[in-house]
Amino acid sequence: MSTTAPLPSPAEHRPTVVGVATAEVVDPRVARVAWAAVVLAALAFFITIPPVTLRTPAPSVVLGVVAAVGGWWAARAGAGRVGWGAVVGAVLAIVGAWVASGADEAKLDQVVVWSALFAATLRFATPLIFAALGGIISERAGVIALGLEGMMLSGALFAVLGADLTDSWLLGVLVGMLGGVGVAAIYAVFAITLRADQVVAGTALNLMALGVTGYVFVARYGDDGSPKDLSRVPELSLPGLGGDGFFAVSIGSASLMTWFALVAVAAVAFVLFRTTPGLHLRAVGERPEAAESAGIPVLRTRYLAVLASGAMAGLGGAYLSLALLGSFSQNMTAGRGFIALAAVIFGRWRPGAALAAALLFGFSSAIARRLDVFSDQLATLFNALPYVLTLIAVAGLVGRSRAAGALGKPYERG
Amino acid sequence: MSLPPAAGDSSTGAAPADGAAPADGAPAPVLELRGITKRFGAVVANEDVDLDLREGEIHALLGENGAGKSTLMSILYGHLRPDAGEVVVGGEVVHLRSPHDAIARGIGMVHQHFMQVPVMTVAENVVLGAEPRRGVLRDRAAARRIVLELAERHGLAVDPDATMEDVTVGMQQRAEVLRALYRGARILVLDEPTAVLTAQEAEELMAILRRLKASGTSIVLISHKLREVLGVADRVTVIRRGRRIATLDAAGATAPELARMMVGRDLPDGIVKEPTMPGGAALEVRGLTVRDDRGLLAVDDASLAVRTGEIVALAGVDGNGQRELVQAVCGLRAAESGHVLVDGTEITGTGVTGATDAGLGHIPEDRRRDGLVLDFSIAENLALRRLRTPEVTRRGLLRRRRMRDTAAALIEDFDVRGGGPATPARSLSGGNQQKVSIARELACDPRVLVAAQPTRGLDVGAIDAVHRRLVAERDAGRAVLLVSLDLDEVRAIADRVLVIASGRIVAELPPTASAAELGAAMTSSGEPDPERTAA
Amino acid sequence: MLPARLARAATTTRGLAGRGVSRVGVPLVTTFLAFLAGGLAILVTGNDPFATYKAIFDGSGLSWLFPWTGGDTREIAASSLQQTLIAAAPLALLGLAVAVAYRAGLFNIGGQGQYLASSSMAIWVGSSFHGMPALPHVVITVLAGVAIGALWAGIAGALHATSGANEVITTIMLNWVAIWIGSYLFGLGGPLQNTEDRSLPVSPEVAQSARLPVFWGDPELQGLHIGFFLAILGLVVYWVLIARSRAGYEIRAVGLNPEAARTAGISPGRVTVKAMLICGAFAGLAGAIDVLGWEYRISTTDITVSQIGFLGIAVALLGRGSAVGIGIAALLFGALTTGASQRNLDPEIFDPALGTNLTLIIQGIIVLVASADIVLGGAVRSLAARSFGRLRTLVARRREASA
Repeated sequence: MSTTAPLPSPAEHRPTVVGVATAEVVDPRVARVAWAAVVLAALAFFITIPPVTLRTPAPSVVLGVVAAVGGWWAARAGAGRVGWGAVVGAVLAIVGAWVASGADEAKLDQVVVWSALFAATLRFATPLIFAALGGIISERAGVIALGLEGMMLSGALFAVLGADLTDSWLLGVLVGMLGGVGVAAIYAVFAITLRADQVVAGTALNLMALGVTGYVFVARYGDDGSPKDLSRVPELSLPGLGGDGFFAVSIGSASLMTWFALVAVAAVAFVLFRTTPGLHLRAVGERPEAAESAGIPVLRTRYLAVLASGAMAGLGGAYLSLALLGSFSQNMTAGRGFIALAAVIFGRWRPGAALAAALLFGFSSAIARRLDVFSDQLATLFNALPYVLTLIAVAGLVGRSRAAGALGKPYERG
Repeated sequence: MSLPPAAGDSSTGAAPADGAAPADGAPAPVLELRGITKRFGAVVANEDVDLDLREGEIHALLGENGAGKSTLMSILYGHLRPDAGEVVVGGEVVHLRSPHDAIARGIGMVHQHFMQVPVMTVAENVVLGAEPRRGVLRDRAAARRIVLELAERHGLAVDPDATMEDVTVGMQQRAEVLRALYRGARILVLDEPTAVLTAQEAEELMAILRRLKASGTSIVLISHKLREVLGVADRVTVIRRGRRIATLDAAGATAPELARMMVGRDLPDGIVKEPTMPGGAALEVRGLTVRDDRGLLAVDDASLAVRTGEIVALAGVDGNGQRELVQAVCGLRAAESGHVLVDGTEITGTGVTGATDAGLGHIPEDRRRDGLVLDFSIAENLALRRLRTPEVTRRGLLRRRRMRDTAAALIEDFDVRGGGPATPARSLSGGNQQKVSIARELACDPRVLVAAQPTRGLDVGAIDAVHRRLVAERDAGRAVLLVSLDLDEVRAIADRVLVIASGRIVAELPPTASAAELGAAMTSSGEPDPERTAA
Repeated sequence: MLPARLARAATTTRGLAGRGVSRVGVPLVTTFLAFLAGGLAILVTGNDPFATYKAIFDGSGLSWLFPWTGGDTREIAASSLQQTLIAAAPLALLGLAVAVAYRAGLFNIGGQGQYLASSSMAIWVGSSFHGMPALPHVVITVLAGVAIGALWAGIAGALHATSGANEVITTIMLNWVAIWIGSYLFGLGGPLQNTEDRSLPVSPEVAQSARLPVFWGDPELQGLHIGFFLAILGLVVYWVLIARSRAGYEIRAVGLNPEAARTAGISPGRVTVKAMLICGAFAGLAGAIDVLGWEYRISTTDITVSQIGFLGIAVALLGRGSAVGIGIAALLFGALTTGASQRNLDPEIFDPALGTNLTLIIQGIIVLVASADIVLGGAVRSLAARSFGRLRTLVARRREASA
């Protein structure tokens, strides 16, 4: 894209213009109908699972059909994305309700324990939140975040090394963060200074990080695995939340790092959209030439963004090894970096929406863990869900979701 | 080829203006470029160029495409660093390492391709890099207020809250000027500012420049348009092939004199056309309606016919539907309604292949983007349109020797210089690339040739060659539809002129019509301009 | 015309560096750098890099090529070389799966998923139809694998063509979908789990009739199967496709300039889908020959641990997209993987657990350097051009001075 100055479009001036295709001006009433249909579809499924646990699919079918019709109407009336979402959701809800209402009630009660599910969702989502925030920072500045997986893996290993050497989880987490920054620094040199192909460089770093972490791990710990007595990130027991009430189980003993991740979402959103450095970072990602010509140092900004993304991904990795599992094993991230990238895209490069996507993916992992009551295999298959959802999202949302204008394009001065 | 002795060499040409300056008691220059030299690899873009800008003057930098004007200004704005020479601002030698340094010295730049972030608002773009803040927060209200005040003071109407990509090019440019002023520019550089503007917007811009000058701003205006330069500038510096040819007062200069300095020799003689007897209609467009990428009406019920043996020019201000019309005719864009016929055969909706098979050739307006695969060899580029003919492939395999021989013949025939069949198209000059593009179309022996801005960005010699070729093809009985933004071109080679405005064909004129008549027709859409304004 | 002459001069210098030196030189330098870095990693663990590389070389069986290797050593080397070639064959095909896409301007990061989809399909077809004659069984099974691989890649191609979905993202997602589907199929209680031992998450064995014949070495001990020739055939097909065929011309045109291709009447969407189908077919062939040639079964661990698709990227980049280069790069990586494997690397000299990771590091560095080699090559070029320009001005100045 050498020039983005749109050509003068005289048609734009004309009052006779009809049917503006790209303008997303949806009648608020139509939008409300669309969202109502989505809620109805969700409700259709919800009534067949605990605590309601209706044993017949009939009401769900009625609700689902109403939701589908509403969604279809809304889609036709202009609210395309949400409307069709409601239609798809309604169909899924009817199928799901049919299955659930026929399932063994005792097993259903075992799977759907909302408080425990919520707690597990937070646990599985936390590393994704960290890494996705890193991804947003990097991609908003115009650098593709394909190396998140490698940065996480490095963070996980170095956190263990740090905690092992210092006997302090805090220092361990910090060292893990630096582990992520280290991988990010290599990536930055290649992607920014050497203007390498970012997809290729990201892939290379993932391979290298896999090799290096495995190598260091084997060289340091051999066959014994990581030490059993690692200092672990503590859980934060909220005062006044004891027993086994909903809140006590769901958030009463969440990891300290989970809370930190949630705070980080707000912080990143605040910096990106409310402060000057955030504005500069976005300008650099959208149109580096313009930023440079306004006196903003493009390369320095991109370097800082990529290093920050490494720090965030490193935190995600440190959470995995020091909070969630308390150990390191080779290739332990197992694709979480890519799910985080999926959350970035799913969340359309916005911290809040990416948080929602991370929670959705975390929830699907949480469900998968519990579905083995019904069938091991169902649980396994369920793991593919985030990837399928992302496939659908990228296929359906293009044209609306837009990455930074200069994403993946190396910047050369002059 | 060696350099012919220039008509006005730097020593002689520069003398009058330089000599006159002290006598007039002109103020000291606010900006000087001394002996600037810049090379890219082995190519010298600027060689020993001097330029001085006086306080409160408009100084035009005049030269052909590729003469090195933009490189010089990139050096002045800190994008590039010179290999030799120095930049002096206010009597002090400065080293501009980045635009940041240039801004700090009071230099502002309006780039040819605007340096703006399309998804941000006008106000955000104006203050970008020096945003007003409240604590750590951006102060958006203050930004908006500042922009409105500044706009009011200088008479530059903008809508601060509109997203940059949604406003007209004219407003984008005004925002670009505002940005420079906001950053305290006392020296304003404008790079080909009227290239993207309508005639009316260009007039407005010139008025703005005069006002800015009156308020003490010194302006460098880069242009290759003689009329514009003579209309607004106080002094003119002409550069050619990276060297300064002359600096002279605009008041005493004439257009032919400047043109000669720019081109380095006398302009080619006008093209002599024999009158021909046009035959039947080879291309017919009936009631064509087309929408652009954004779904807006771009071509509105347009009808036209081109007969064999004539050149019909489609003249108009850029962006009035020419591109979409050409795309629809050539099968690159679906028409909403209407018909396109080649030799009576309906080709609407048959795509590029259908149009080609019916006998339509298309020289695209952007040869580097749409015309050539620059990393392909000349032979491969020449084969691009005839891929499914036995000339090029047999049983799915390429006939490479045949391709090479055909290419060698076409290179000879079309006088493509700078390489043989195996040379990558990238290494050819613009004019020779265009010859390849034209040769490829004519190798298909089309009945109808659609030439979209075929001389855009070419130097004078190459323009002349393209014009002669088009006239020769017309004489050979082809129907030529020439889309052009250049009235001189239209009047030089067209047999009939159709004027397009706001997607409609609004007039048909003879090529002998005056520039004023044509200009009037082009802006005759007769509708109010509901452009968003701050007021 | 002066500028034109200068531009030509610049092209000539570029030609020198671009054609002659960098086509062979850059991959050599890249490989050297990677092995150098690997050597440092070996040093850090207190081992001798030279001895380690020697051990990996011996483990790869390449010493068989030296006529002076004799006796028992020669026999062991032969067996190792067979394994190296077995490993090189799918790597070459996976390199092609990346290279074809690259020519079309796409980045196929989904070789892994296409390979796994094909492996799973080949297991299914190959372990069904017991009693079918060998020739049709092999052919049907290979074709089934090729078809599912093409389909898997074709999804990404079709999404790219219809909705503009970025193929990097879609192929990554498809990789993981394939991984989880494979884990589901062959895992505990999965529909395609083996029936002999229900406690193992392993697939059933491929029937004898569906196995690829071994032509060199002992079939029981992983001798070299005819998949090797299929891989060589793949390289030849690739060369004809890219350099000689209309389809390849269209792929290259779309890859280099989709707008110009479209203006000339080539449909970029259709070409994109076609290119991805070809990529998937190559990756699918790789998956099929591995399953039918020597593995005969896969476990869910194999599925999650495998990185072979990513090594295909390294092969394509190191081979710089040329058929010969990809063949050589595949051989190098095959030798490296085999030489450092648990089975072949002498544990007295270097811990094979480290060795496996070492190969990943070396391969990662190769890809990393390759990601910037256009720029590195460019740096060499611009250096050449700059000194050329400086020389010119020097000469010119001297001439002026003497005049």
